[in-house]
Order: sequence, then structure tokens, then C-alpha cells
Amino acid sequence: MSDFSMLEYGLGTLQALLIIVLSPLIVGVMRKIKAKSQKRTGSGIFQPYYDIIKLLRKDEIVSDQSSWIFRYTPWINFVSTASAAFFIPVFLVYSPFGVVGDILLVVGLFALGRFFTMLAGLDVASSFGGLGSSREMMVSALLEPALFMTIFVIALFYGGTNISTIVSSANDMSILIVPGVLFALIAFFIIMMAETGKLPFDNPSTHLELTMIHESMILEYSGKNLALMEWSHAIKQMILFTLFVDIFFTWNFVEQISLVGISIGILFFIAKVSALASFTAFIETRVAKWRLFRVSDLIAMAISSSMIGVIFFFL
Amino acid sequence: MVENLFLICAIFAFFSLGATLGLLTRGHKYHSYFTYIPSSFASFLTITLSLIIIFSESTHLTFFNIQHLFDFEIFIDGVSAFFLLIIGLISFAVSIYSLSYSKKFDDKKNNSALGMLFNVFIISMVLVVISNNVFFFLIFWELMSLTSFFLVIYEHENKNNLKSGLTYLVMTHLGTGFIFASFILMYTQTGSFSFDSFRDITIIPQHVKDIAFVLAFVGFGTKAGMVPLHIWLPKAHPSAPSNVSALMSAVMLKIAIYGIVRCIFDFNAVDGSTDYVWLGMGMIIIGSISALVGILYALVENDIKRALAFSSIENVGIIFIGLGLSIVFAAFHLQALSVLAFIASMFHVLNHSIFKGLLFMTAGSIHYSTHTKNIEELGGLIKKMPWTAMMFLIGSIAIIGLPPLNGFISEWLTLQSLLAVFQIPSNILQVSLAFAILAFALTIGLAGATFVRLFGITFLSKGRSTKAVNAIEVPKFMLIGKAILASSCILLGILPFIGMNLIVSAFNLPYMSSSPFETISITNTTDSNFASLMMPGVLVILASVFVGVFVVVRIIGGKTKTIKYGTWDCGFGNLSEKTQYTATSLADPIRRIFGVFYKPHNDIDVDFYTKENSYFKKSIHVISTTKNVFDEKMYGKTISGSLFVLNKIRKIQSGKVNAYILYIMITLIALLLFVGFGAHE
Amino acid sequence: MSDLILPTQIDLLHVSAVILLVATFGIVVRRGFSDWLHAYRYQTIILAGVVALIAFVTGIWELYIVSALTLGIKAIVIPKVLFYVTKKLDSPIKLEINPYVSLRISVIVSALLVTMSYFMALQLPISSDKTIAVFLPVSFSLFFIGLFIIISRRKALNQIVGLLTIENGLFLFAVVVTHGFSLVIEIGLMADILVGVVISSILLFRMSRTFDSIDIKNLESLRDD
Repeated sequence: MSDFSMLEYGLGTLQALLIIVLSPLIVGVMRKIKAKSQKRTGSGIFQPYYDIIKLLRKDEIVSDQSSWIFRYTPWINFVSTASAAFFIPVFLVYSPFGVVGDILLVVGLFALGRFFTMLAGLDVASSFGGLGSSREMMVSALLEPALFMTIFVIALFYGGTNISTIVSSANDMSILIVPGVLFALIAFFIIMMAETGKLPFDNPSTHLELTMIHESMILEYSGKNLALMEWSHAIKQMILFTLFVDIFFTWNFVEQISLVGISIGILFFIAKVSALASFTAFIETRVAKWRLFRVSDLIAMAISSSMIGVIFFFL
Repeated sequence: MVENLFLICAIFAFFSLGATLGLLTRGHKYHSYFTYIPSSFASFLTITLSLIIIFSESTHLTFFNIQHLFDFEIFIDGVSAFFLLIIGLISFAVSIYSLSYSKKFDDKKNNSALGMLFNVFIISMVLVVISNNVFFFLIFWELMSLTSFFLVIYEHENKNNLKSGLTYLVMTHLGTGFIFASFILMYTQTGSFSFDSFRDITIIPQHVKDIAFVLAFVGFGTKAGMVPLHIWLPKAHPSAPSNVSALMSAVMLKIAIYGIVRCIFDFNAVDGSTDYVWLGMGMIIIGSISALVGILYALVENDIKRALAFSSIENVGIIFIGLGLSIVFAAFHLQALSVLAFIASMFHVLNHSIFKGLLFMTAGSIHYSTHTKNIEELGGLIKKMPWTAMMFLIGSIAIIGLPPLNGFISEWLTLQSLLAVFQIPSNILQVSLAFAILAFALTIGLAGATFVRLFGITFLSKGRSTKAVNAIEVPKFMLIGKAILASSCILLGILPFIGMNLIVSAFNLPYMSSSPFETISITNTTDSNFASLMMPGVLVILASVFVGVFVVVRIIGGKTKTIKYGTWDCGFGNLSEKTQYTATSLADPIRRIFGVFYKPHNDIDVDFYTKENSYFKKSIHVISTTKNVFDEKMYGKTISGSLFVLNKIRKIQSGKVNAYILYIMITLIALLLFVGFGAHE
Repeated sequence: MSDLILPTQIDLLHVSAVILLVATFGIVVRRGFSDWLHAYRYQTIILAGVVALIAFVTGIWELYIVSALTLGIKAIVIPKVLFYVTKKLDSPIKLEINPYVSLRISVIVSALLVTMSYFMALQLPISSDKTIAVFLPVSFSLFFIGLFIIISRRKALNQIVGLLTIENGLFLFAVVVTHGFSLVIEIGLMADILVGVVISSILLFRMSRTFDSIDIKNLESLRDD
């Protein structure tokens, strides 16, 4: 590994821990905003924490049809998703773990978690799980081109797939300078909505077989395993939000490492992510769930948007 | 180089011993040991030989001539050695696997023929790779094709196998024809059949070179299964016994890649002239199409071995993309990127051999203990065959390119070289290559879906038939054979530099060779870090996160109980194996979206209790079918067209003797006229 | 902390081009009749903004009037007319249900058309001015996407929207290349479009009366067999 000090590794770990620990908070904030916009009071923003703690203490029921795949999937899913958090800059412009892996590795780790989640859906021998896996197969397969094309645009504009390189060069530019990045932004936003199972793609708040994708795969989980599944989903969402604000809204990164600077940096980070979360929640209240086969139209939109982004780079 | 010569002789000796013993011990109780133990020894020696040649500092050359007829030269350089390594490694694992697997054919009359052909098949591949002369190359190529043909039709009781064997025979000879034409063309320029002269000649007219390239590419591409000449592959590979399918898919396809590498990178070193851009672009386009088409058909296939065969087409496509990129980069003097793309491609060659061999052996194990290849009849095997399931899982994770296994590394490298296309100084190439990422990414995504489906339906949930319910774990030799390859997958994934160093020194690439714990890093034009990847570091992070979360969960959650209970059935009860998702329904959304390729069709047959009342249905039969557009549209048309023409030609053969004499006379006159006019000119 | 860099004129032009392209895609992805008209209206409003921006950059005051005219006629009057027509149509389903080319493919094809337009604009020797360099490919894109809409859709209303998109592309082309014709011609053109839309609306009415639908497939029966 290269020349980072212990302090920097410590800060890097702190960044990852921030993502992991704050992720349920963002879920709570989004739920609150959605509740408010539907004229409900809604639960408090810390409710997801209570849920997770409660679930961790509960006994669990496991289907007698299931195998070790079902039982270990939450662990694999959590470990792969949470490990991805180590590569994401939060308040520094870089992550000291950036040399270990790049954005493609993050995508790969997400895919690993998703692979096992889909298998777990199939493992319990109920038709719900199969339904979720089948739909997730479609959405994730179609999403891949959009995702890689967007990564391509970002890598072109910011000179690398290494997230630290991307964020530090994004930090040096204004977004208005490069119109191609605007297209990347649109595409990334659509991908983000799809990856985190937001409304036009998936309705996470119902258990209705017509709408659900992600929820039906984890329908059989209970207790500890459910807590891990929910938490890793929250972490994934947090990572994508963080990446989004890191790349497209680069204000207020910590330049000098000092206690005050870092505190301000963390506050700014929470503010940025909360703003994005609110915006996403707002969008969610505005749209209805799309028919499954129209989801591909939206993904096509993301693909073509990033394609035009490429053109803006080259021409 | 005496020890190399000795090794080569030992390899031949052991393989021949295996082949002869296979014939002699026919019907003997332990005949499989007599056949496959020599072949595993020979494979092990092959690995040794290749490693010696790759890593020895001295000349990579062994030579001996038999001065009759044609020179039988053996030439093993790094390139040959790299492919020898693949042959050796896979054959070693497959030989051990076959010790038990061949028991499946014990009650067959010609059970010894399998072992004999198996040995001859491997030795013919070894000979193809090390021969240095057109004549012998083609002879061994043909030997390889024929033995594999006999292996494909080994279970000839099944009429389908005979049919697919015939398709294979026709297509492979089509390919051989192209290769032959290419070599003949080179011969007209060099005047010699030796590969050395092909290598040494410097002045060949550009157009001759181009034609020779295209012919060689099409010829070898047919053998490698490029679309649209892939049609034989998904038929032939599944028809053969599984140990042979593993060899065919994992090794024989790579021999074709070897041919391409030899012809394009060795015989005419692709240098920095833009004349070669079209060749590279052609390979990338063909590669992208192959990858996409291969995986699209793998996704809907219900025969597990056929699905794996389709996925081989996909992976060959990915390899072609890497090779094509390498050519394009080289044409624009981007040496470092060209090397990167080449390493990516060769690493994928190595990786694909390993995991496809593994997957085919696992599919063979499934067939061995359930006697079916149709995944709709399987299910729940993870409880019956836990180790086989583990191996298949490792193979699946590797093949769809997920970290931390080896497939991820080669796909990462290929993607990085695709991402680097912005350094090519041509707008139209940049943009079109950028769009190639779309095809590549879609391939990766669909590959994920394919293996979720294959693994999920085969191994998870409830067994869908008695065959699956009564399955038992396979004998341990089969597990050992698979475990060798599975551990190679893990090793190459975690320490990718082992594989990369191997490739770098085998192909003499100008790339810094370093310790296996190094970071793969790619710098961009301004020398900042474009991308880097350190798999051991990833593993450390994964492990520490696991420990961390385990501790946290334990502290917060304390000790909890796990209760086993039935799957949630919405309160209706009666969850049975029929209520699960089937393989067809699992792939249905994708099947609909890409309907153009499949022409999906549902035959629904509803039976009512009373004819008048259409609300109370007695039974509903749904037969869901997909078609292979390539088989129907392209080959169907071609075959019917040629049949039409041939029917016309058939009229010539009237059966009358005087008509035949007339033909002879016409031919004679025509020839005389030709000679006469030729003399005037 | 990075200082916010103030955008220059060329950046403004680029960003407005991006927004215009996105608005054009809005027409491609929508399915409902009123959605098209909304999308068309947004597109035209943005187009008017773009024209005003060009006027600002080049300093030709006549273009401001052109921009205002565009806003008035194309963004307000024409959508009004078409909205009225849509409301009066008999057909109960006001959706493009089964287009010749599926929506997802049309989006990708449109992106390819945009790519092609940029390449073509590179080939043309006239891209000296910065406004031309930025907007020439965009006007091509609008033109081609409009054509593609006409080709790929079944409903007559969408054909009109496609036609109007083509017209917008041509208008942008004219403004960018010539920096505005004389004002009289401009007004004449606007009136022309207005009349065109009114006539086609009447045709739409007739069509929906006669065939009970505005599917252009019905027009095939006009062929003299």
C-alpha cells in the first residue's frame, strides 16, 4: 500500500463507519418526509435504528426448505455492501483505501450481494421469492449497461475509475463547465432510483405481489437475518447517495485535517445527503409505480442519456 | 534442452499408455484406473513442461527433425507453453474426475473406447499447440476434430447426439477449410510450410496479408464458436460425455484462440500502422455480438449443459473483444494499453478454461447422480450434493465476474481497456468503442441472471422430480477433480498477479512483473491513478468487516434461537414443488424483453368442467417455447437454399452411361480449350 | 473547498443545448396524448429561451422578438389548439398503445440519432461560430428525432407533434446559421405553422369521426387497389 499515515487510515475507517451507521437515519428521514407529504405524522427519524436493534434481539424462524445459502446470504450481503463503503470518500476528497479498489469493484460487491439475495429468494421454495428474483434478474441485467455507460462518462470526465481520483477532480471543476456530466447526472439518478428500489421501479412499502421486487426476495427473513438485510439495503442506498453528492455536488470537502474541519465536513455531508434524500422522497411521492415492462423504458432513458454524455465528451 | 525433450517423450508415452491400456483392459473392473491415471500423469508432466518453458530464462525452443516427408518440427515458445499449461491443468483435473465419472458407462459395450479417445484427444491438442509446420499442424488439428467428433457421438444410442455430431463434423471442416486456405495463401508468399518462414517473412503485400488474416480468423473462429458460425457448439458440447465436454469447452476452444493468436500476433506482428484497425474493430464487433447472443440463449436454455455451452460462446466473445482492442490500440501506437488488453484477454482465456471446466464437470456430476440434464426436473440438490453445489457456486461466481474470484479480474481488466479507448485519436472509433461497452455490460448483467437461474433452479428449493429427490453426492474422485479447479479459481481471484505474471513472461510482454501481492494499477495520460485494484486488500477489508459485524451483532443481539418451520404459504397450505417458480418462468421477463431473439410462444390449452361455463377450469396446459433465431432464419434458409440448388444439380446424374461419357467429353474439350488459350497468353 | 467558478457564455450555451435535448427526449418517452403536448410545450419554451440566449450572445435585438413570437405562438397557441382537439376526440384511450418501435428502442435509437447528428455537424465546414458549433448538431438532432417520431408512431396526433419537432429543429437551424431572417419572414413562417396545425387538427377531427380512431393505419385504406 502507499504512503498514508495511520491517522488517514483511521479517518478512512471513520468515513466508512459514518456511512454504515448513518444509513438507517437517512431511511428514517425519507420515511418521515414521505409521511409528511401524505399528511401522516409518520414514525420518528430514528425508528429504523430501533427496528434494527429490536430485530437483532429476536429469535428467527427459518424455512425448513432452505439451505445454508438462505442462512448466510444476509451475512454475505452485509459484508460485501459494507465493505464497499470503505472506498467512498465522505468528508475527505479521497479515501485512503482507494488504492485497493475502484468504482467497478464497488459495483462488483453490490452485484455479489444481489446475486446471493436472488439465490436466497429462490431458496425458500415459495413463489414469492421466485417472483422477486425473476424481476430482480431482469432489472439488474438491464441496469448494467446504463450503469457501466455512466461510469464510463464519469471516468472520462474525471480521469479514472478510482473513486478518489474522480472525487478530487470533480472537486476542482464546476458542474456547469461540462454539459456531458449533466447527462451522467440524469442517468446516475435513474440508476440510483432503480438500484435502491425506489418508486417507479419498485414499491418498497407494500407487500403486494404486483409491485414488489426487493421485498419479496427477503420476505422469508426474520430476526437477525432480516435486520442485516434491511441494514445492508440502507447502506447500499447511503453509498449511492454519497457517491452522487461526491461526484456531482462537491462542495465543502475537508482540505486540512483538523478537528473543526472534519466536524464541519461531516455536518455538510449529512446536510447534502439529507437534501438528496428529501429530493428522492419528494420524487417518490410524485410518481406511481410503473408497470414492470415499462421499467425498461426508464432504463433505456438512462442508457441514452449516458450515451449522449459520451458524445459530449468526444466532440 | 534435453530435459524438455525427455518431458515431451514422457508425455507422449503416458498418453499412449493410457490409450492402449484403455483398449486392452476393456471390461476389466479397474479399467478406468488404467486409462485415466496415465493421462493424469501425462497432464501433470505437461504442466511441468509448460512452467519450465515459461519461466526458464534460456531459449524457449526445442527442436528435432525427422528428415523424411516433411519436417516434423516441435517448437515450444511461451505462447505454446501458455496454452500447454491450460491443456495440462484442465486435463489433469478432468482425468482425476474421470476416474469415477467413467463408471457411468461401465455397462456399455465399448466403455474402453471412451478412455482411448480421451487420451488421443488430449495428445492431439498438445501436438497442435507444439507443432511448427503447416502440414503437421493441420494433421493434428484434424485428429483433434475427429477424436472429438467420435467423443461427441459416443452415446450414439441417442439419435440427437448423432445429429449434433454431424453438425459438428460439417462445421468444423468448414473451419478447417478456411484455415487451410489461409495457410496455402501464406505458402504462396513464403514458399515453405514451416511456421518459421511465416514468422520470418517481412514483405507480404498488404491485401494478401489481410485476406490471410480474415481466412484464419473465420477458420479458427468457427472452432471457437463465434457468432454466426457457432451453431455446432451448443449442440456438440452437451452431447459428449461430461468429462469430454469439459475438455472441449475449456480447452479445445482455447486451441482455436491459440490459432488466432499465432496467426495474428506471431506470424505478422501487428505493428503500429492503422491498416489493422479494421481487423481489430471487426474482432470487437464479432466479439460483442457473440457475447450477447451467447448469453441471451444461455439464459433461456433448460438443458444445463447446453446453457453452459452457450455461455462458452459468450466468453469467447469477451476474449475476442480483448484481442480486438489490443490490435486497435497497437495500431495507434498505444503500447501500454495494447498490452493491457492482451493481458485481459489471455487472462480470460485462462480463467474461462478453469471455471468452464469446473462447471461442465459439475453439470456432469448432476447428470451422473440424477440422470437428467433438464433443470426443470431438478431442484433441492444443495442438500443432497452439498460439495457439488459448492463447486458450482464457486464456478458461477467466477464466471459472472463477481469479486473476489478470478472472473472478476479478467472482466475488470477488459473493462479497463474498454474505458481507455478515449486515448485513441479518432472520434468515430472512440464513440463506437464506447458504445461497445453497452453490449459488454449487458452481457455481464445477463450472465448474472443466467447463473442465478442455473444455480437457483438446479440446487435450491424443492426437488421437482423423483430424480432430483433421490440424488446422492458423487464419488470423491469427481469431487477432487472439481476441487482442483475450484481452488484455482479462488487462488487466481485473490492473487491475480500469479496469472498475470504467467502471461507476461509467457508472451514476453513489456509489463512490470512483480510480486503476487501487488496492486494492479493503471495510470492515465496525466500519470495520476486511473484505476487500481488490490485483491488481497479487498479480502482483508471483507474479512475485517465480517469480524466487525459479527461482534456488533453478537453484542447488540445476544444469543438468539433459530426455529425451523415451513415456508410462509399465505395461510393456504399445500406448498408443493409445483408452486415454485420454474426455470422458464424465472427467465420470462427477460425472454419477453428480448423477444426478437427468442420468438417466445405460449401454447395454452384450457380444459373446462363444462363447456358452457368458462369460469371453472379443470386443467390448464401451458407449453412455452422459444426458438433459436439463428438456427431457423440463417441456417434454415441456407440449408433449404442449397438443397434447392443441389436438387437442380442432381438432374445431371441421370443414370445413363452415355450421358456420363458426354460429361467426360465436355470436360475434356473444356480443359483442352483452357490449355490452348492459356498457352497463347 | 472549491470556489464556485462562474460559467462563461459558451457554458451557458452548452447547458441550454443539453436542456433542449433532454426536453426533446421528453417527447420520445411519453405515451399519453396530453403528455406529448406538454412535452412539446416545454420544448418550445426552452427553444424560445435558447433563442433569447442566442440573441443575448450575438447581440441581435430582432432575435428577442423572434423568441417572444415563438413563445406566444408555438408554446401557447398551438398547444392550446391541440389540447382542444385532444379533448374533443372520440377515442376513449388517449395513449400510444402499440407503437411500431417500442419506446425503449426508440429512446436508444434517438440517442444514436443524436450521435449521428454530432458527427454530421463535424463534417460540415460551417461550424466557425460558437453558437453554430453548439446548436447546429442540436438542430439536426431535433430534425431527425422528429422524423423518427413520425416513422415510429401510429397515432396521427403524434405525427403532428413529430412534424412540429422537425419544424423546431429547422427553426433553430435557421436562427443559428443566419442569426435570424428578416422579421417579416419569421412572422410569416409562424403564421404558416399555425395554419398548418389548424388544418391538421381539422383533419384529425374528420379522421376520428370517420374511423373512430386516429390510428394512421386507417389511412392505408385510402390506397387505390
